[in-house]
Amino acid sequence: MTLTAGALDNDRVTDVHIAGVGMTRFGRRSESLPDLIAEAAQLALADARIERPDAIVIGAMNPEEFTGDGNFGSLINTHLGLSQSPALRVETATSSGIAAFYTGFAGIAAGLHRRILVVGGEKMTHVPTPRVSEIIGRSIDPHERRYGTTMPALAGLITRAAMHKTGLTLREISQVAVKNHANASRNPYAHFQEPVSLEEVMESRVVADPLRLYHCCPISDGAAAVVLSAERTPVRVAGIGQGSDTIAIRYRSDLTSFRATQVAAQAAYRMAGFGPERVEVAELHDAFSPFEIISLEDTGLFAAGKAGRATLDGLTALDGRLPVSPSGGLKARGHPLAATGIGQLVELTWQLRGEAGSRQVDARVGLVQSIGGLATNNWIVLLAAGR
Amino acid sequence: MEAAEVSNTGEVVTFTTLHSPPEGFRSPLHIALVELEGGARLFCHGEETRGVKIGSRVAVENVDSVFYFSHMGYADRARMFWRRAGARGEKVAAISKSLVQGLFKGRSRGQE
Repeated sequence: MTLTAGALDNDRVTDVHIAGVGMTRFGRRSESLPDLIAEAAQLALADARIERPDAIVIGAMNPEEFTGDGNFGSLINTHLGLSQSPALRVETATSSGIAAFYTGFAGIAAGLHRRILVVGGEKMTHVPTPRVSEIIGRSIDPHERRYGTTMPALAGLITRAAMHKTGLTLREISQVAVKNHANASRNPYAHFQEPVSLEEVMESRVVADPLRLYHCCPISDGAAAVVLSAERTPVRVAGIGQGSDTIAIRYRSDLTSFRATQVAAQAAYRMAGFGPERVEVAELHDAFSPFEIISLEDTGLFAAGKAGRATLDGLTALDGRLPVSPSGGLKARGHPLAATGIGQLVELTWQLRGEAGSRQVDARVGLVQSIGGLATNNWIVLLAAGR
Repeated sequence: MEAAEVSNTGEVVTFTTLHSPPEGFRSPLHIALVELEGGARLFCHGEETRGVKIGSRVAVENVDSVFYFSHMGYADRARMFWRRAGARGEKVAAISKSLVQGLFKGRSRGQE
């Protein structure tokens, strides 16, 4: 292949498309992690109508600790009966799924492969909750961890700072959980299928003041997969971007927005050649409900200080101007770590192909946001229907 | 690296009370992020967060390499100004400065 100056000026050489998707139901699952991953992978391969991908990229945050599995790339490609397809494992804490997707994207864009299976999964519900918190909490800066901080503790610190600075209210934050539970009640793949009321959310027990239990995502098992292809399909990856920030939150000048999301969004919009005004549906990383509101503003989907009110006014509901997390989000669809980001891509692919059943929205461009750690390593992906 | 002298008073940047702390920590666990005079930021434990707000003045103490914050009332702040003022002649100036600052801060922070 001869690269012309024009090709080099582009951000990439080959367009990347989504050829197939699949996921397990998220929640408490009795199957092993390799079995969950195999279920999602086989669904995605069948959807793409291919038997053997050129390569496999696996996202998994911490199978070593959660399930005791090691050499994870080889374990999974062998378990899939695809040991001839080279496999590698990628990790960026809670955004590991999109990190794997990015690796697959780069492989196709660079012309290394034509078809890549990207799969992410995690299994945690068999582990006692304090141990799960401790394992996930290792993604926190050591000084801050020494003071007993966990992810909910840091989220509580950020939420209080945001409420103080921007006037964000507990009611606005709580409406995120209400909206996402309502969406999940239409999603057979979701961890929780039951709607909740605003009162139930606001009166649930305090976890990390001012955050309450129903502002926090659950511990879930599950897996999700996509097949990426150099050949044209109905859904194209229009843009992808990564952003980063210090692992220590005490070094950040601003606690009330996430630089890692802002930088990732700018990179993804630049690659796509369009901005937030084209986005018609989004899947955001609401590990804690206030993060959805912060993320709506960090991605430019709403102006600073406007997303809380917009949520309360129903603009982000399924029938709103910009439906957000039709799947139910991390709060209600569930958060099996490395499966989450890929699960978000699966949902938006179904939405853009018109296959989302009773939660179908009208959209041609979708945005996925994934947060790694306490917003230390974030991703934005833009998907577009047709060309 | 060289050790640097820093102030032992600062302002609360944000704080939380954790009700399910990890093993080895008692519940509820009061955690604050404090900015010392001079700009250094530290995580601290505290006995309580009653009366604490973002922007509250706190004293920070190092006990066995763990930092603790305690809320400074008007009495504590006045004592500090007396101690800092030193010579008798400076006391008047310090008291009036303290009163003015107290009034100013009381007004600007009374709206949370």
